[in-house]
Amino acid sequence: MAQTQLESAQRIGSLFPKLTFKLDQGKQFGPRIGRLCLTRPSDSLINIRTPNFLIGTSRGVIPHFSRDHVHSANGISWINVPFESFLEHSPPVPTYQAGSQPLHNFLGFDTSKHIVSLSLRDPLDAREMPANGNTHVSASCMRGVRKVTPADWRSYVLTMQPDIAFALSDTPFTAAPHSQKRLTKSIERSAAWLADLLRPVENTTGDSPTPTLNVFVHMAGGTSTSARRAFSQSLTETLHGLEVAVKPLLCLDEGVAGYAFDLAAFHVRPAPLSHNDRGGVIKIAENSLVLQNSESLAQTSTPDTAGTPTSLSSSMIEPLSSLSLSPTLDELLRASLDPLPITKPRLVTDVRSPHEILRLIRDIGVDVFDAGWVVKAADIGIALDFIFPVPSGHDSGPDHRKREIGHNLYDAKYAYDFVSLTNAFLAGYNRTSSSEAPVCPCVACSPVAPTSPLHHSKIDVQSHQARSDDDTSRKFLPPFTRAYLHHLLHTHEMSAHTLLVAHNVAVLDALLTGVRTILSGHADQNEAAAIFSREVTRFEEVYDGAMSVFHTARDNWKDVKYARGKGRLAREAQKDKDVRSVHSTEVQ
Amino acid sequence: MQFEVIARCHTTRARVCRMKLAHGVTMLPTFMPVATQAAIKGLTPQQVESLGITLILNNTYHLNLRPGIKVLDEAGGAHKFQGWNRNILTDSGGFQLVSLSKFTNITEDGALFVSPFNGEPTMLTPEESISIQHSIGADIIMQLDDVVSSLTVGPRVGEAMHRSIRWLDRCIEQHKQSGRKDKQNLFAIVQGGLDPALRDLCLDAMIERKDQVAGYAIGGLSGGEEKDVFWKIIKQCADRLPSDRPRYSMGVGFAEDLLVCVALGVDMADCVFPTRTARFGVALTFKGPLNLKLGKHTKSMEPIDKNCPCPTCASGMSRAVLHHIVTIETAGAHALTIHNLVFQAQVMGGARDAILEGRFPEYLRSFFFDYFGDTGYPEWCVNALRSVGVDLMQGVDIPLVQGSGVKWEYSDAA
Repeated sequence: MAQTQLESAQRIGSLFPKLTFKLDQGKQFGPRIGRLCLTRPSDSLINIRTPNFLIGTSRGVIPHFSRDHVHSANGISWINVPFESFLEHSPPVPTYQAGSQPLHNFLGFDTSKHIVSLSLRDPLDAREMPANGNTHVSASCMRGVRKVTPADWRSYVLTMQPDIAFALSDTPFTAAPHSQKRLTKSIERSAAWLADLLRPVENTTGDSPTPTLNVFVHMAGGTSTSARRAFSQSLTETLHGLEVAVKPLLCLDEGVAGYAFDLAAFHVRPAPLSHNDRGGVIKIAENSLVLQNSESLAQTSTPDTAGTPTSLSSSMIEPLSSLSLSPTLDELLRASLDPLPITKPRLVTDVRSPHEILRLIRDIGVDVFDAGWVVKAADIGIALDFIFPVPSGHDSGPDHRKREIGHNLYDAKYAYDFVSLTNAFLAGYNRTSSSEAPVCPCVACSPVAPTSPLHHSKIDVQSHQARSDDDTSRKFLPPFTRAYLHHLLHTHEMSAHTLLVAHNVAVLDALLTGVRTILSGHADQNEAAAIFSREVTRFEEVYDGAMSVFHTARDNWKDVKYARGKGRLAREAQKDKDVRSVHSTEVQ
Repeated sequence: MQFEVIARCHTTRARVCRMKLAHGVTMLPTFMPVATQAAIKGLTPQQVESLGITLILNNTYHLNLRPGIKVLDEAGGAHKFQGWNRNILTDSGGFQLVSLSKFTNITEDGALFVSPFNGEPTMLTPEESISIQHSIGADIIMQLDDVVSSLTVGPRVGEAMHRSIRWLDRCIEQHKQSGRKDKQNLFAIVQGGLDPALRDLCLDAMIERKDQVAGYAIGGLSGGEEKDVFWKIIKQCADRLPSDRPRYSMGVGFAEDLLVCVALGVDMADCVFPTRTARFGVALTFKGPLNLKLGKHTKSMEPIDKNCPCPTCASGMSRAVLHHIVTIETAGAHALTIHNLVFQAQVMGGARDAILEGRFPEYLRSFFFDYFGDTGYPEWCVNALRSVGVDLMQGVDIPLVQGSGVKWEYSDAA
């Protein structure tokens, strides 16, 4: 660790922005609206109305987005950066970034627009890892596993100056249930590591107020309600003994800015027994994306898991409700939140469907959701198409089957479908003064001609003078069509995924905007909650919660990937084919 | 097409032209990025347009396979299909006779391809190629030519050249009958391999048909031939091609090749190199290519080129961040693709300004000094530019490099 360099970075900007959360409406459990507000020392201000979402990065970048897309996607205001990929080098390369707001600057995020948080691990990655120790967390990077101590983490956080930092957490990534001993250890370590991050920052500037980090804590306790309750209670206990180092805090919770629930660990299931199972090996039903390159996009069935026939039908995006958790997710979240004040934001990562989001808002009162699942949908060629609240006349189809929540654009039925990506939203280009449907503002549905293209010579102006065929009365260009996206997916063009991420994020943004609109539309809290609840029921009636479209999309995605493969891809394709034929004969 | 020569270099054969097509004005000389399957890899058309690019290339062979003519017809052509409303040039599919030679069988009638997807045979005749290009609706369409690898020797080269002339006549006829001559412009492709006599025969025949074609391409090069042969063929063709027609050098993309071609009188060029090399992690700069995968870039907080106007460099994206993501994240490919396309455009835009301002020879000298000053000048570039009156060696003490002299950043791991 290059201490001198880290220390000098700490001196440069020793004031952290102030994060506040105001709960406008809502109670302990039930739908609620609020405002998350970040004020920078420079007085610039970012306001996020909740419920809202955050989007995670992969190796520091939002998957498939170039920087201009990050800035043009107005729905994105909170970006989470898992730090572990940077542990390939020691000290990690981002710590060399000079100046104020090093994390924003290193990754090109906008300090006036983006709240950037830092977590050690990717909350969507639930692959089994070497066990954590009393003084370290095992993190994953391309060169292998790295042990990160609370002291390391504290120094990375103080150096990178994220707007929000996630405290280290001891989460077991083996299938539940866990032994009492393991859970106790998990709770104790998580609390101790939180305490370490909450220790006051040495104030180097003298008389200015002590800077405080905005810390979110992962709610430990696994699938045991009593363990969850115990962890939450430990946060509110008056500090004594060794933890006095955390002064002036009276209890840990006083220093906590928000509560995080990482659902990824719940998706870890013991593998079903199969012909190639080598006895008792825990397998992970779902393999989250580590790499986002075109080769490994959404590749979730590793040869290992593909070898177990039953896992073929399971999807990485299987909604949690179909996992028979006992106790239920609701009970687990309530157990964690019950002992805690209601006025702090609640964050859930690794949700997997709009249904799940709506239920967590209705039954628990979750304020922020991670957008990982919409990115994964884009990876496998799905254009999301749902709207909340469901407008009248937007019922389930004529055959009384529920609507899919998106379109698997690999499907041949889209080859000649020259309309924009969604039915629920209009393309900006197609909007008229009498249009009632909302517009999808994404770069796929509502592209805008660049206003000031680069000029490469003095006479280039002749190329950019208004052309006679330009329709200047329209602000938007025609939307990209399903047919075009279908073509891009089948020709393995990366542009497909860029357009789909932009679109899917916009649909998620609209969902949460719809939620806020309903909840803020009624002065009476109970009435708002009742109306919201009716709308959620209607949404569940209209849209298919089983999300079967995701299963077929992933199979199609694989077929295209393997069709072009040489070498490794060709071998994997053969393996996959064999497995599938075994599967189909078994089914027959 | 309205084609107008605006300025000529006082020393070399370089010129600046204004080419007005159905989808706007493109200033020449220019480099055309390749969108083989109706997308510049990873970018949206709006991003490409924001980079100041006004002419891209689509590939007839690939678009005919996928999405197919029926889809393109229903979409109303390739412009509408891909959301690009600037100019498009379509390659005829002739190059695939070489690049997919394993799958083709050439007869006088046309080329018989076997589809790599379903094994079905498809016949690509000159008429068929033109008719597909009509469905695509490109602003510039290319004749189907009989392309042989530039390393081929013997009678096959002459046969291919003569056949290309016969096929040009069939393309001209097909294009004439379509009634689309006002919207789409047919270019002829000069063939003849590396044999100056064959090239002359081809030039004679094709120049004879000048009134039937809107422009000329120089084909059959950039296939691994000696660079000293390459530039001589380019010069021979460019010298003889009519000055009131654009000249397009096919498959040329290295910066030094582009500038030599421009000096010899070429107006347009295309190549997958800048976009493909981006996906492999290489950024092009005026000081030579940077291989961002190399360990030496790990901690570099500098942008690729702080003077570059591209969105990647303008956003301050450091080499360290690029090193972290290239060849792993698609966003790494996007960032470098954006940069490399702007680099190509800057090289050509700089040439346009220099020609207009009467300082093109100085532009060449300073480009080569920055780009090759540390390693040595490729001898063939020196020879080629001497042939048009520019001596790169004048007043500098820089070694000559034999062979292609192409500059590359190799692995530092070895």
